[in-house]
Amino acid sequence: MTSSMMNKPNRRHLLQLAGGVAAGAMLAPALIGRASAATQIIVADPGGPFGPAFRKAFYDPFEKATGNKVVNVAREAEPTAQFKAMVETKSYTWDVCTLTLSARDILAGQGLLDPIGFTHADVPKLMPEAISPLFMGTDVYSTVFAYRTDRVKTAPASWADFFNVEKFPGRRALRKNPIDTLEQALLADGVPLDKLYPLDVDRAFKVLDKIKPHVAVWWTGGAQSTQLLQSGEVDMLPGWNARLQAAIDGGTPAKIVWNQGLYSIEGWALPKGGPKAEVSRQFVRFCSDPKAQALFTEILAYGPTNLDAYQTIPAERAKVLPTSPENLKQMTIADEAWWSANRAKVSERFNSWLLT
Amino acid sequence: MSAVAAPSQARETRAFRFGALWLAVPGLLFLAVFFVWPVAQLLGLSLFDPDSGKPSIATYQRIAATDVYLRVLGITFRIAGYTALYSLLIGYPLAYWLSRLPDMYRGRMLLFVMVPFWTSYLVKTFAWMIVLGRSGIINSLAMGSGVVDQPLPLLHNEFGVMVGMVHAMVPLAVMTMLPVMAGIDRRLVQAAQTLGASPAHAFWLVYFKLSLPGVAAAGLLVFISSLGFFIVPAFLGGRRETMLAQLIITQVQELLNWPFAGALAAMMLAAALISCWVYDRVFGISTIAGGAAQVGTGRIRDLGLAILAVLARIAGTLSRLAQTLLGRRGSGLILPAFAWLVIGFLVLPTLLVIPLAFTSSQFLEFPPPGYGLTWFRTYFESPLWIQATIRSFLVAFATAIAATAIGGFTALALANSRTRWSGLIFAFFLAPMIVPRIVIAVGLFYLFARIGLVATDLGLIIGHTVLAIPFTLVTMAAVLKGYDQRLDQAAATLGANRLKTLTGVTIPLVKGGLVAAFLFAFITSFDELTIAIFISGGVKTTLPKQMWDDMILQLNPTLAAVSVVVFVVVTVMLLLAERFRSSSSSAS
Repeated sequence: MTSSMMNKPNRRHLLQLAGGVAAGAMLAPALIGRASAATQIIVADPGGPFGPAFRKAFYDPFEKATGNKVVNVAREAEPTAQFKAMVETKSYTWDVCTLTLSARDILAGQGLLDPIGFTHADVPKLMPEAISPLFMGTDVYSTVFAYRTDRVKTAPASWADFFNVEKFPGRRALRKNPIDTLEQALLADGVPLDKLYPLDVDRAFKVLDKIKPHVAVWWTGGAQSTQLLQSGEVDMLPGWNARLQAAIDGGTPAKIVWNQGLYSIEGWALPKGGPKAEVSRQFVRFCSDPKAQALFTEILAYGPTNLDAYQTIPAERAKVLPTSPENLKQMTIADEAWWSANRAKVSERFNSWLLT
Repeated sequence: MSAVAAPSQARETRAFRFGALWLAVPGLLFLAVFFVWPVAQLLGLSLFDPDSGKPSIATYQRIAATDVYLRVLGITFRIAGYTALYSLLIGYPLAYWLSRLPDMYRGRMLLFVMVPFWTSYLVKTFAWMIVLGRSGIINSLAMGSGVVDQPLPLLHNEFGVMVGMVHAMVPLAVMTMLPVMAGIDRRLVQAAQTLGASPAHAFWLVYFKLSLPGVAAAGLLVFISSLGFFIVPAFLGGRRETMLAQLIITQVQELLNWPFAGALAAMMLAAALISCWVYDRVFGISTIAGGAAQVGTGRIRDLGLAILAVLARIAGTLSRLAQTLLGRRGSGLILPAFAWLVIGFLVLPTLLVIPLAFTSSQFLEFPPPGYGLTWFRTYFESPLWIQATIRSFLVAFATAIAATAIGGFTALALANSRTRWSGLIFAFFLAPMIVPRIVIAVGLFYLFARIGLVATDLGLIIGHTVLAIPFTLVTMAAVLKGYDQRLDQAAATLGANRLKTLTGVTIPLVKGGLVAAFLFAFITSFDELTIAIFISGGVKTTLPKQMWDDMILQLNPTLAAVSVVVFVVVTVMLLLAERFRSSSSSAS
């Protein structure tokens, strides 16, 4: 307690200093060139293929354009715990971090994020769902399903087909998580895509009861879903489109069904009170550029949030991206607000249901 | 004679005891600051309402409102219990076989037993998926040879979890039992036979009984370590194999509900402590603590001996049967054959990793469609991977030294003291094993952030030492239990001071235990992920953390290549250490 009170004046002083440096940094390029303005920011991306993809699309071009340095590290799948501890203890391991919408809502709800400093009006071609005062989406991922074309003879085309084990025989996997799984059950039961939320939880569990004995594997991680499809452990499974696409790109005979998909957005946010907020904001703004976003789609099969990016993306690649007009119109966005309010309770019920 | 000696000896023991317990103080302080304090802080969160900050038992009411948490707790205990049982059943014959080998040969065989340790949990788990899967190796062989016409359900059920967990735990069981077995005087078995006992009776009533402290220690260590598993049940388990650590991690990382995670951790801790208490009632914790002599009193001892006698009779009949069926020579091969089978089971996933590392495919698929060096190139050209490898070795080495020193001194203190405090102190030192690592990790992160130890090597070493201390203590305690303290007294009588007794008599005699403790601690740190996730944030990562980061979204054979490199480096290190050990012992 005493130590934190003693630290306070120091901190404020430091913040003022940092503000001064940042203000200087903004003016500096015009006055004295880049070198003196160089700041190093540490950004946390989801790791794996994101590292090289974002390096090419965002980090290198940003370094070139501003003279600042970007060091990227991989973050946890759900970095909320580190984020919270980081802000509360003011030990900033990261200056910018990618979050899912659900993580954004949890962290925003606890007041742990700083504003990104620009609005939708500044970047009108950005998807409206992809920007809020505390967050700018960089990529859209979609929960869809894939099936092995060598094993499933009649092509399934909807969640109703996926849940129909008589007409479409084959080994199935589902995700060991109520998120997306409840939606899939409701869509299979005939609930229209635009009337999904608020979810009818009881009805969803009734549908899931019927498919439960036919589910061979309950997967927990993205890498696992790729492996399940690629190794032939199952014949059809839901998953994130780029994880399924990775198996297909690697030569697995499989096909993705975009119909009735649910998409969501990942993007940058700033930990509250971070010391390099100005350069970090500059970086986030930089990542809204359509040409930069088009570059990461060469490595990652995720959709750009700035739809102008499709002007430079080849038509063949656009087919496997969630935000290409053809795919986007078959899908809807998952309602994070509903999940934020109900996740704890529904997860408990789902876990209990799994055990019986 | 005894009437004269007894009083003076008693006085001396009392003085020594006081002096001896001081040896446990550094360890006590270390754990108080870096274990009790951070964990207590986190558990304390469960007793307060996060919004108002007022005391509240809402989290516990929520646990009581549904049966799901109790059921998961039950599943966790069942899986951990079976893992301990199977690990002992498989590990005991192997340890027995190893203990009878000549020293040189045993050292080499031990390397095989330790192989699973040098292969990361993550990689081992994926290797088992390749072995047990629907189109995996076993099913391909079974279907191809026409033994079965439907793939066997080996994966994504309790069987898969058992294979993964027992595989991970057998080395721990063997390493705990072996020093005790090696310390048993074989002439006792011969003496029993000379006195007319059948070989089976001599084994069960003499040898087995003398090895029980090691068996009890191994059982408890395996059981408690198994409670905190989360990677194996997630990947090899099915719908029902959910363990409590998984739920705690979800609460901390995804739902950010630390008070509820604290409550779940408290529940797990309470259950683990109760089972330790029950264990103490049944087997006597003293067998592990190296404390009071385990000559049980009255009825329990008689019952135990009766059970052993029945076992001896059954075993005697079985061995006679085996001898008539296989002949004397054939039945003598049963034990080595079984031991080699277990070793095969232990090294299988690692052997599988080698071809996978040279694959030309982007996936971990078997058999590889072609071969190349792509993934080794990826590894060696990446400064991130190389730095992580070096850091892991350095951190593990420092951890091993610190934990062996603390564990060794504490074991010495407890072995030389007969107060009722020693049981409590022993339980306290075991506590880091019982508390889920995620709880320790988050608690330490909080503590370290305030004193600037996050993302430092020192922070990692401290965190890993907390985890490794129970292993080093149990190993050392088991060895010191069989250690004849009259040797120290003899040295003292001959004029050696305490330091000289320690370095000249005690340490050389318990060298095997020290090496085992050091290796335990080294391994604990080297393959540790949970603490690394929190403490080594930013650009300073360890090898398991780097692997984890790399495989969250996309699994690629770099992991296999890294495993092979680590395996080669460690094997060379161990062979050198073994050579050094045997040459130094033959020189002396």
